[in-house]
Amino acid sequence: MTDTALVELKNLEKEFAGTKALKGVSLSFLAGEVHGLLGENGAGKSTLIKILTGVYSPSDGEILLEGASVRVSSPPEARRLGLGAVYQDAELVSSFTVGQNILLGNEPGRFGVSDRAIHDEATAILADMGIDLDARRMASTLSAAEMQLVTLATLFHRRYKLIVLDEPTARLSAAESEVLFRIIERFKKQCIAIVYISHRLREVQEICDRATILRGGLVSGTLNRGEVTEDRVTELMVDRNRSELSIYNDGSRARPEVLLEVTELATANLSPLSFTIRAGEVLGITGPVGGGMEDVARALGGVVRHAGKASLRGKAIDVRTPIAARRSGVALIPEDRRKQALFPALSVAENICLPILNRLERFLTIRPGAMRKYSDDVMGQLAVRPRNAALQVRFFSGGNQQKLVIGKWMSAGASLYIIVEPTNGVDVGAIKEIYDIILQLAQDGAAVLLVSSSLRETLALADRVMVIHDGKCVAEAPKTHWTYDELLAVTLSGKSKTAA
Amino acid sequence: MRFLRRWGTIIVLVLAAVGFSIASPYFATVSNLNNILFSMIVSALVSLGLTWVVISGSFDLSIGLTVTTSSILVAFLIPILGPWAAIAVALVAACLIGAVNGVLVTYGRLSGIVVTLGVMFVLSGINIFITGGYQVPVGYDETAFLYLGQGKLGIIGVPVLILLAVFLVALVAATRTRIGHYIAAVGDNPMAAFYSGINVYRWVILAFVLSALMSGIAGVIVTSISSSAQPVGGEGYLLEAFAAVFLGATVLGKGKPHLLGTLVGVFFLYMVDSGMNMVGFPFAARHIFQGLVLIIAVGANALLNREEVHLKFI
Repeated sequence: MTDTALVELKNLEKEFAGTKALKGVSLSFLAGEVHGLLGENGAGKSTLIKILTGVYSPSDGEILLEGASVRVSSPPEARRLGLGAVYQDAELVSSFTVGQNILLGNEPGRFGVSDRAIHDEATAILADMGIDLDARRMASTLSAAEMQLVTLATLFHRRYKLIVLDEPTARLSAAESEVLFRIIERFKKQCIAIVYISHRLREVQEICDRATILRGGLVSGTLNRGEVTEDRVTELMVDRNRSELSIYNDGSRARPEVLLEVTELATANLSPLSFTIRAGEVLGITGPVGGGMEDVARALGGVVRHAGKASLRGKAIDVRTPIAARRSGVALIPEDRRKQALFPALSVAENICLPILNRLERFLTIRPGAMRKYSDDVMGQLAVRPRNAALQVRFFSGGNQQKLVIGKWMSAGASLYIIVEPTNGVDVGAIKEIYDIILQLAQDGAAVLLVSSSLRETLALADRVMVIHDGKCVAEAPKTHWTYDELLAVTLSGKSKTAA
Repeated sequence: MRFLRRWGTIIVLVLAAVGFSIASPYFATVSNLNNILFSMIVSALVSLGLTWVVISGSFDLSIGLTVTTSSILVAFLIPILGPWAAIAVALVAACLIGAVNGVLVTYGRLSGIVVTLGVMFVLSGINIFITGGYQVPVGYDETAFLYLGQGKLGIIGVPVLILLAVFLVALVAATRTRIGHYIAAVGDNPMAAFYSGINVYRWVILAFVLSALMSGIAGVIVTSISSSAQPVGGEGYLLEAFAAVFLGATVLGKGKPHLLGTLVGVFFLYMVDSGMNMVGFPFAARHIFQGLVLIIAVGANALLNREEVHLKFI
């Protein structure tokens, strides 16, 4: 580690449609240091990284690379400057081999592409990194963790000066994480700056030389190694000034009868987990991204292979496929609206009416009038703007799209609503309305399973809170037992303080 | 299972050849092989071109008309510019058509099907406009030019050798250079290619240019073979080319288009055509057979190559 700043950010600002995501961030990354980046959801971490890697351009401020001001206009430009990143959901070319992926865009030789040269070099890189993988294996046969390692290997020969790792251990096992840490040590020796984003405090303590905590679009503090303690980080992270949303689930909606009973639910990333949800109750599951909480939702929605049983109202239900899950009365409202829940080129009416088309039919033809009226009612109930059922969904804002996804399942009469990260990419104004809608679902007697990495959201909406860390439930307690700081401490460390 | 996936199409091809040889004494002869090769030249060039575009993840419907346009341009320009300059202009024009397709699909943000469908109509209009609807003859004294399509080296036709040369150059480009490597990467996962710092648009455009260039070469040969250029008729090559490309994707169990497979695919279609002709099947039966072969070959390959969920219908 040296004392010269490799990259210096000066007063970076970023504004999205009137909301400031970054309000003047000044930070420096030194050559050969591992710099942790921590912060709540919405604190500005991902915006900062996207500016650094050319995905966004800043509204104001300056980036200095080795003392000179640079403009990072696009990802290829960032790459040329030596700024690289590995994202959580890294992409590989699936029909290429491991070796071809590692050297993609940087093949040895001038013009010709020699298969042998590529695989020889890739094999050397893999051996050098201590990754036990055959360079000739097809990328399509890799597991998620192996893909992550291959993506890391692609960094090796690119001569980056700064590398951003976004939650790199989210998909890795303990042994694979050790490989990752060894790789990071090597990068350090080559005087590369590493920006390490993680929600796992132990990792940050273990490998980061310094750690910066962001809060509400500002730097709230930079800690040196040894100063990174649970108490200090919590204190710097929690935004006391942030206006609390006026929504709070006081627990009055929950009824005594148990609606959902889950026994020994398990997937590849989730140790067996049992829980129940009563009618009108909201169970909030939180934890670090990739720590296993997503799998609870995906298993019950029938999207991922799993073991264990689930029953609704005492009757066993089949959730092996999405279709079976729907039929059993389970509605999954996934995180990635655009990819998984909506048909952007279809109208609102066509989207909303999809689950209930059979109710709108007469003599096997759909009555357009009934469709229009039904969608208009739903849009009114959910305050979707603009209230135009004929408009294509892609023209709506993120918040309104999210309302439409919920609206799509609302009247399909589900007994269990699984809602994943409901306010991801939703503008502030729409968040309260979405919370209202979710609580209304509980009010009407459904069981609601909320999976969210936002602690505020979880504490506002849930009756009970469960924390899942590294595939295991580390704490479960009624919401009233938690303070925000305690919950944050548990999700960061994975250790339970309160008795479950 | 793996063996079948790899060799299935070839086995069927060999079995069909054996069957035809038993049924007709004239099928398994050198002269018939020569005939099959000669008849498939234009189709093969067009199909090889289309392969690039399909690998890059798009579609090119304008290839058939590009053949006609280049064919007409050559015939039209030979009296003015002489044969070699005429060929050069025709090929440059073909590349331009490809570049327009490519730019509209990338920077223009249009779908490949829409763009090339539009270009196809535009070209058909231009072709009739230039020729007034009549064929354009090439003088019999243009012996050097006519040698390209009608000449022979030993018993092998010169155009067959041209096809072979084009195929070998393309094969090297596809398997041994950055061109093939990056076009395949872009077609498979453009997002990953983008993040790897590859200029995605450039390679898509290049795929369209290569496709049009090969159709252009085909057009020049068509004119040379028949000593004239016809204003219509290029459309037929398009459908054959698609059949060959998708049939070719099953060759060697690759499951995605590749040049060698395409060439085998074209050969398969023309061999079956010739064989059924000799055995005495009516013309209609040949079409039915070709259609069934295509569906069964691709279908069988999909069965052997099962993904977890199948959600692509193009």
